[in-house]
Amino acid sequence: MNASLTPAQTVGPFFHDCLLRGDGLASDVAGEGERICLRGFVYDGDGVGVPDAMLECWQADRFTRVGTDARGAYTLNIISPNSVRASGSLTQAPHVSLAIFARGLLNHLFTRVYFADNALNARDPVLLRVPANRRQTLIAMRDADQSEPAFRFDIVLQGNGETVFFDFK
Amino acid sequence: MITSIGEIVRGDADVFPPYLYEAYRATIRRAPRMPLVEVPLELAELSGPLPNAIPVTSDDGDLTRNAGTGGEAIGQRLIVTGRVSDSRGAAMPDVLIEVWQANAAGRYIHKSDQWPGPLDPNFLGIGRCRTDGDGTYRFLTVRPGAYPWRNHPNAWRPAHIHFSVLGPSWSNRLVTQMYFADDPLLAQDPIFNAVPEAARSRLVAAYAHEVTEPEWALGWRWNIVLDGANATVFEEPGPA
Repeated sequence: MNASLTPAQTVGPFFHDCLLRGDGLASDVAGEGERICLRGFVYDGDGVGVPDAMLECWQADRFTRVGTDARGAYTLNIISPNSVRASGSLTQAPHVSLAIFARGLLNHLFTRVYFADNALNARDPVLLRVPANRRQTLIAMRDADQSEPAFRFDIVLQGNGETVFFDFK
Repeated sequence: MITSIGEIVRGDADVFPPYLYEAYRATIRRAPRMPLVEVPLELAELSGPLPNAIPVTSDDGDLTRNAGTGGEAIGQRLIVTGRVSDSRGAAMPDVLIEVWQANAAGRYIHKSDQWPGPLDPNFLGIGRCRTDGDGTYRFLTVRPGAYPWRNHPNAWRPAHIHFSVLGPSWSNRLVTQMYFADDPLLAQDPIFNAVPEAARSRLVAAYAHEVTEPEWALGWRWNIVLDGANATVFEEPGPA
């Protein structure tokens, strides 16, 4: 029963000094694997960049937090994710998990970032739960302009092209 | 308070606030409008960041002194403590708690807080600690003041402390706010009232005389309950 759970509240506008203090944030990626730069914007329902959002990225053994800048842009330095075998031995396509926090979000949002051109995307059990016409909102596209491996992933909180958000049940 | 309340909720709708709650104006253009996609727990992220992903020192839990100036913050000293447990009542040790709050005058150090409340040079308003083996956390701080915001005419946020709770599972990540019992500003606050009425009291700390230390600080107790039902399933690395 969930009778006693503590409710969520918005992160508000004043979290930066606490949650984005420099120490301990794994933006300086260490470890094995291909390094990937994931970048994009967080947009509101008017298509305006959200300048006071925070993203948390979790990829099985690596945790990163970043804030958006005045234009709503973010940059996450991650390691190329390996595929993860969930219980029931269903193989999942490589992905990273994001939690999105902002003033005006009374509870954070969960989403996932998958990577374009990966053959496993077509049979990923989570992607297959998403209506086919919305799956592309979860696919990061390779950013060919960059010298390093880079992917573009925008998060649309509301409206046209609204990103798919998840509820774990 | 007349408001349009959305139907999209993550988690138990009897507990968690909807994303759209028009009385809190910032939700109107930021709340998702499409249904959330449900993911069964066996496909979810059941591991989570280790608490040592973020270092904690013993000074981090004393907000009255952790500005590092050598001086003490001004305000009514409070001990804020409580227990973090799962929904079955089991203690959750080693949970990372991060807090941030306004000073006694209701002013944050944040650069975008510009209302004319005085800053306190000896108060940062940020702290962190980990729960002990009994799931207990504890901070020493000063009572935060209320502060105005522009959500509606003569709007004031009730005194509160922001809590970030990073437990063992990514899927029960929680960010919330703790309020104080008998605050007259709670009734007009749309952020607090966005929570379903039956669950609102879980955000309100209670004065606890047994926590109060003589000739030192007043004690307040606030317990946190995270959904622990998923603790029995684990992600395993698969083939690359």
